[in-house]
Amino acid sequence: MISFSNVSLIYPHSLRTVFDNLSFTIEEGEMVLVIGATGSGKSSLLRLINGLVPHHTGGILAGDISVDGISTSLTKPGGLAHIIGIVGQNPAHGFVTDTVEEELVFGMEALNFSQDVMRKRVEEILDLLSLTHLRQRSISTLSGGEQQRVAIGSALVMHPKVLVLDEPTSALDPIAAEEVLSILHRLVHDLGLTVVISEHKLERVIGFADRIISISRDGQAEIDIPEEILKRSAIAPPIVHLARALNLDSVGTSVREVRRMTSHLRDFTPLVAQSSDSTGENVVEINKLSHRYGQKIALREITLDFRTGEITAVMGRNGAGKSTLFKSIVGFHSSDSGSVRVLGNNPIELHGVDRLKKIGYIPQEPSDLLIHPSVAKECAASDRDNGLEAGSTLAFLARLTPTVNPEAHPRDLSEGQRLSLVLALILCSAPEVLIMDEPTRGLDYQAKTMLVDTLVSYARNLGKCVLIATHDVELVAEVADRVVFIADGDVVADGATVDVLLSSPAFAPQVAKVMSPAPWLTVKDALKAISDVTHPEGVQ
Amino acid sequence: MMKKRFHPLTWWIGAIVLAIAISLADDIAFNVAVVAGISFIVFTANRSAIDKTPWSGGLWFALKIALVIIAIRTFIGIAIGVPVPGNTLFELPILYLPDWMAGIRIGGAITQERLFFAVSEGVHIATLICIFAAATSLTSPHRLLRQMPIFIYEFGVALVIATSVLPQLVSSASRIKSAQRMRGIERRGWAGVALPLLEESLARSLDLAAAMDSRGYGFSRKRSRYRREKLLRHDLTVIASSLAFIPLAVVAF
Repeated sequence: MISFSNVSLIYPHSLRTVFDNLSFTIEEGEMVLVIGATGSGKSSLLRLINGLVPHHTGGILAGDISVDGISTSLTKPGGLAHIIGIVGQNPAHGFVTDTVEEELVFGMEALNFSQDVMRKRVEEILDLLSLTHLRQRSISTLSGGEQQRVAIGSALVMHPKVLVLDEPTSALDPIAAEEVLSILHRLVHDLGLTVVISEHKLERVIGFADRIISISRDGQAEIDIPEEILKRSAIAPPIVHLARALNLDSVGTSVREVRRMTSHLRDFTPLVAQSSDSTGENVVEINKLSHRYGQKIALREITLDFRTGEITAVMGRNGAGKSTLFKSIVGFHSSDSGSVRVLGNNPIELHGVDRLKKIGYIPQEPSDLLIHPSVAKECAASDRDNGLEAGSTLAFLARLTPTVNPEAHPRDLSEGQRLSLVLALILCSAPEVLIMDEPTRGLDYQAKTMLVDTLVSYARNLGKCVLIATHDVELVAEVADRVVFIADGDVVADGATVDVLLSSPAFAPQVAKVMSPAPWLTVKDALKAISDVTHPEGVQ
Repeated sequence: MMKKRFHPLTWWIGAIVLAIAISLADDIAFNVAVVAGISFIVFTANRSAIDKTPWSGGLWFALKIALVIIAIRTFIGIAIGVPVPGNTLFELPILYLPDWMAGIRIGGAITQERLFFAVSEGVHIATLICIFAAATSLTSPHRLLRQMPIFIYEFGVALVIATSVLPQLVSSASRIKSAQRMRGIERRGWAGVALPLLEESLARSLDLAAAMDSRGYGFSRKRSRYRREKLLRHDLTVIASSLAFIPLAVVAF
């Protein structure tokens, strides 16, 4: 269906070859997953398929790419619209019209489809993606999962043979992600659609992939079945790390497989959870906090405390009220009723250095904080703002990520480097409360490890209070001591990470699913518990 | 109540007719009455609407801009310009200009007539802006664009991008500004917001252009319509009532 032969790509004004002599073919009805570190060219590969690269971005392309027998170098992306549907990284950026129905017909109108064909197809897609009740809704008011479904729908309505998706679940909560992926799975199996998908959160998609294309930094790529690629790849979901750590004969890609392989381990190990008792003092006190946007109630009478030395993850579906809660704590808006106290202060009244010492906030788009033309200048500005010695922020940054070039423009950094820059800017003033909204969006595993290490040492060693809002259950399993679960503006669960995550199958991390009913969340937990049993000298 | 759907052109035709009417009338009270009337219509329409497009708030934004325009126009009108004889209110120090610029002066006597003229000019411009902002609030520009034939591909893409990215700019600006407050950047104002904002809107525009391109926009010279929009009775009522303002404006003022 898709064939790359000897493809090489260089972008204009760039010395690095993105791809070097790439050849592979993707068969009809295959679901192929593209993996690679950030900046390795995953998006470029996807956009090569329908010719957006190089027709839209410029660059030199050598070799030939053909889709269903049509060469993309000779055809503009518009000419392939009926064969390839492409869904970008952020679907909200690609919507052309205002309502769901108009969005679905946009492509068909542009290609001059007849009215009865359009009507039939719109109904069919609305049913297929369960969008019928949303057909007249304005797209901007839909949740992230619904928007993603609309974007997929408006690609599918053209009856494409190939569907290309760039990180389709990165902004979605685990349940919405599952919904989107199972729809794709069904399309592949029922309609023989060819799907090419890129994703950082491998644990979500690995079970669905037929083959994996793994792109390395030097422009090489290999394509193979998941078991083969994952045997060696540094980029791997927790389930594979578990299999490697336990020295299993082969790596499994589904919870079911690995469960079967590890049944002998679960038989004799004790079912005790590690207990974490927190003795920190309350630094954030929220009392009966309510907030509404117009008619919509975002928070209802929430009462919560957050302590020092503790990492708390706030979870919940898209639109549950996580961001609103954080904005109230940070002091972006005054609330309708109730109170928020950060170290005894009303956060709205905190200003200047006093604020920097108390609250550190990293928004969903970390780049919102960056305004200077180079990393060095950002760091210098931060030294000045915080009254620190010149060079201390830069030194802090070098400890987090040694590879960042101080002369680089912040926009040219990779997602991971940019996050470490922002972390350095915020953490150098050592705020008592660190608040991060959705920090792992678009991060690869390497950057995630940096984040985990930084957060854990900040909370444990320096005894600060850390709050993160996230959809990433694996991150929560790694770092959080406590999980607060919010649904529809209410706190529905609040407790130790183990208890909250294990009580809901959708939010359980992979290792927990494999090891259930043993209460281990991460590879490290499982290894420690198993070695305690097999080498009991440490235990009485 | 069933949500009435107006033809995309209805409110725009109404707006054009009203614009003609206020130009004919040229009266502050009439202008203010028109703005009050359209604000009421937009307010009721938005309240009963199930959900809003990003453009629904356009009128409130325009009303704020209108006040600024009136203030600027009044200031310029009284400070710079042609002397208007009449009842002198107060005098500003006069700045003498070379001979070849005779007829224009800066400062000087401010007469009641001159002040009135400046204010009514400002109100006129502001009213025109509000009328078209109201039409935008009631009919998203996207729906209007879909009525247009594809003349030139690039033109269409540019218009869609402008109308999509513009409302986003407003919300992105406040998001970035409040995020930067967290870094202790409180005094730098809009200068610090401009750069991230520009980069974000540029990236968004490119994304949107790529999306339109890959969905076949402009590839076929002909395009079909999913739903034929028809002028219905309630559309005609709106247009007819706006037309009634023209004789009113001519006769009454």
